[in-house]
Amino acid sequence: MNKKYISYLLIALPLLLPIITDNQYYIHGVVCRIIIYAILVASLDLIVGYIGDVSIGHAGFFAIGAYTVAILTARPELNSESTLHYFPQLPFGIALIMGILLSGLAGFILGFPALRLTGPYLAVVTIAYGLLIYTVINEQETLTNGTKGITMRTLEVGGFSFAGNNLLYLVYPMLILALLLIRNLTKSFWGRAFEAIKYSEVAAANSGISKSYYKIWAFVISAGIAGLAGGLFAQLDAYISPNTFSYNFSVEMLIALIVGGTQSITGNILGVSVYVLLPDLFNRFNDYRLIVFGIALLLVLFFLPKGLAGLVSKFMAKYAHFFSNEKTESERLTDLQQRSENVDLWNEMPQSTSDDILKTHHLTMRFGGLTAVNQLDMTVKRGTVHGLIGPNGSGKSTTVNLLTGIYKPVDGTMTALGTDLKPMHTYQRAKLGIARTFQNLQLFSDMTALQNVMVGMHNSFKSNLLAILFGTKACRKEELLIEAKAFKWLQFVGLESVAFEQAKNLAYGQARLLEIARALASNPALLLLDEPAAGLTSGEIEKINALILKMKDAGISILLIEHHMDMISAVSDEVTVLDFGKKIAAGDYRTVRNDPHVIRAYLGTEG
Amino acid sequence: MNETIQLLISGIAQGMIYSLVAFGYNMTYATSRMFNFSNGNFLMLGGVVGYALYMSAKLPFIAMLLGIVLVGLIMGWILYKTSIEPSLQSKSNVAWILATLAFGIILKNSVEVFWSTDDFRFESPLGNTPLRFGTVGVYPQEILIIIVSLLIVVGVEAFKKYSILGKAIVAVSEDKNTASLMGINQHFIILFSFLLASVIACIAGTLVAPITLVSATMGTVLGVKAYAVSIIGGLESGYGVLLGGLIIGVSESLTARFISTGYKDAPGFILLILILLFLPSGIFGKKVIKKV
Repeated sequence: MNKKYISYLLIALPLLLPIITDNQYYIHGVVCRIIIYAILVASLDLIVGYIGDVSIGHAGFFAIGAYTVAILTARPELNSESTLHYFPQLPFGIALIMGILLSGLAGFILGFPALRLTGPYLAVVTIAYGLLIYTVINEQETLTNGTKGITMRTLEVGGFSFAGNNLLYLVYPMLILALLLIRNLTKSFWGRAFEAIKYSEVAAANSGISKSYYKIWAFVISAGIAGLAGGLFAQLDAYISPNTFSYNFSVEMLIALIVGGTQSITGNILGVSVYVLLPDLFNRFNDYRLIVFGIALLLVLFFLPKGLAGLVSKFMAKYAHFFSNEKTESERLTDLQQRSENVDLWNEMPQSTSDDILKTHHLTMRFGGLTAVNQLDMTVKRGTVHGLIGPNGSGKSTTVNLLTGIYKPVDGTMTALGTDLKPMHTYQRAKLGIARTFQNLQLFSDMTALQNVMVGMHNSFKSNLLAILFGTKACRKEELLIEAKAFKWLQFVGLESVAFEQAKNLAYGQARLLEIARALASNPALLLLDEPAAGLTSGEIEKINALILKMKDAGISILLIEHHMDMISAVSDEVTVLDFGKKIAAGDYRTVRNDPHVIRAYLGTEG
Repeated sequence: MNETIQLLISGIAQGMIYSLVAFGYNMTYATSRMFNFSNGNFLMLGGVVGYALYMSAKLPFIAMLLGIVLVGLIMGWILYKTSIEPSLQSKSNVAWILATLAFGIILKNSVEVFWSTDDFRFESPLGNTPLRFGTVGVYPQEILIIIVSLLIVVGVEAFKKYSILGKAIVAVSEDKNTASLMGINQHFIILFSFLLASVIACIAGTLVAPITLVSATMGTVLGVKAYAVSIIGGLESGYGVLLGGLIIGVSESLTARFISTGYKDAPGFILLILILLFLPSGIFGKKVIKKV
């Protein structure tokens, strides 16, 4: 029998629980609770695991979902002594959708501080945010009945009551749906964009990823899913009160996530199960559960970085391939090799009509009193390799950072492919066709070499968010096509054998090559290579020279920042020399080498 | 008018307590880029231990103070060993947030399990009779809080400026690597800053105890508001926390009086979010240029 159908059956299995047993306590009280919290924790995982920010305010989104459902569906006869003023009495489905939307909106609002802040700053803002929501639900008595809470009817659809264990028929499909959406999202180029932002914001932007766009969406989606969990939670006891949604709950969900293991659906479910079950298994555990969870969190943080899920996957490694359709590494490698055979790497390179690919005029950058780049005029002609050399601290890397938009120049103009670069963000310049490598490697360390290149191809993906969430066929096809092309780029630089190796495990020379592959994969018209040969052996430099010439043949214009004169002389058509931020010479290599200013800058003057 | 002055003084006193906790955040953030997310629970520990020594065991005030300093040192050291030192070695740059959070909930839950979950009244050693200035009445404890807090902040800042160990702290804050090259043991400096922060938080706990109640939960929200104070003042700044504390403390007591006690926490949080949106490094923080 097909493995696929077995896994479908396994997924459907828990639906039998209410038929097998009518133990209310365990099915309704424990299993349904685990399911609802698992949805919440999975939403938190998007922020903590994928985006890499700490949110200690998810109880707030959960509260918005729960209260929206409660307020919109509550009936006056069940809340006769309350201070509630409004009873819209909408159907549950509509209320749930409203809850998801409102919570998503709250996530959108939180997304803005999240753009400018990271680490402790953002963590503190999420706490403040959660506490504000908590304060409002406590105090807005006409809307929420304050501390006394809201009572609802148990849900009934077409005569079928979701009371007691039957609640499983509502929450379990929702869990599967939520996890499916999250999985589709995180395995797509969206998920890679999230992770790219986490590992290196700069490199992500240079691959064409708008941090604002993806980070805000991540918060919206995460908050929306947390709102869904909240809406379902309102039905768990058909009663809610503010106490559930406290700061402590946010912290406890965060602990459940970390202990279970981030970036893992198994981890989400395991963490929540432990959180719900432990107090249940041990008498009086509830009293000292936070001591235990606190110690568990410390242990996991420092000894078990992948959490319980990491332990389980180690243990299950032998059997895992039976349940999933994943192939072994060597199978995938051969598969990729076959699929990439007919891929043409160069056909999509943007063709520019302008002869000057890059032109700067009076470009100036100052840091405090130091002028790092001083009135630089430089032109890179189409289809040439332009060397940019100069002693240490002469402003070469600053120039690259100006061209890619990491710094804003204090004066001067820069145009590339006939477009004024100044008003453009880094990611827009990447879309325009400017790619770069980094002197200090900026690889996405926990992603594989192949995934790193696929992040470089970010702009080749055209699927929209809905298609991705639901994993349409077109979407999967696109993923496979681009994966094949990414593999071909790895072949181009000679890294195909390490396609599935994490970037952090690559040798130094390989990492440099991977940077080049990732930059190339974005189909640039102009490639900025920032000291690509730094720290490499002469053999490796030869290899990079050959690559540069191949790229040039393919029509890519290159700005090469280097110290190695051999390399400059071997590949560059024209050279600009900087010293203390000023251009001191320009022309072909021979002219420049004999220029007295250049000799003075490098060797000093006589006497 | 008189009522407003009384409100202002209570607000300032409350604000100074936030400042002390926030001062601890800033000091350790400067040396290690980390702070104890649970410094509020260290404050709680100070309150609880102070209560046990002074109210229950009837020890003299000075003995209680010594006891608190000792507890602050010991717990600070345990915090350093279990949460900070491993975080320094961890590659993750958010591990410390989670680790110190974990430490705090362990601390809080331990107090609940081994001490009590109830609230206790802590009698001020200065008595409960308000001092009269014309028609304005002020609790002596409030004046004590303001004076002691100012002394602590000014004292530590002077210590950083004039003593050799203090200068080493500033050096590590400015540039870890260069400080190391100058022979400063930066791990010791980081440990020292955490010990100092813990002791100050514990002292703040006994200071605030007479104007609130002593309980295992007294530090949680207080610690959160201290984040707001710390960030409003600027995480990099020393004296900034005093202004931050003033703003939050006063806005809180005014909101409680003129709007609703339920909303008294709100202005601090809203202010925090606004300041971070428009002045990401706080009012006194330094702007840092990121290098690639």
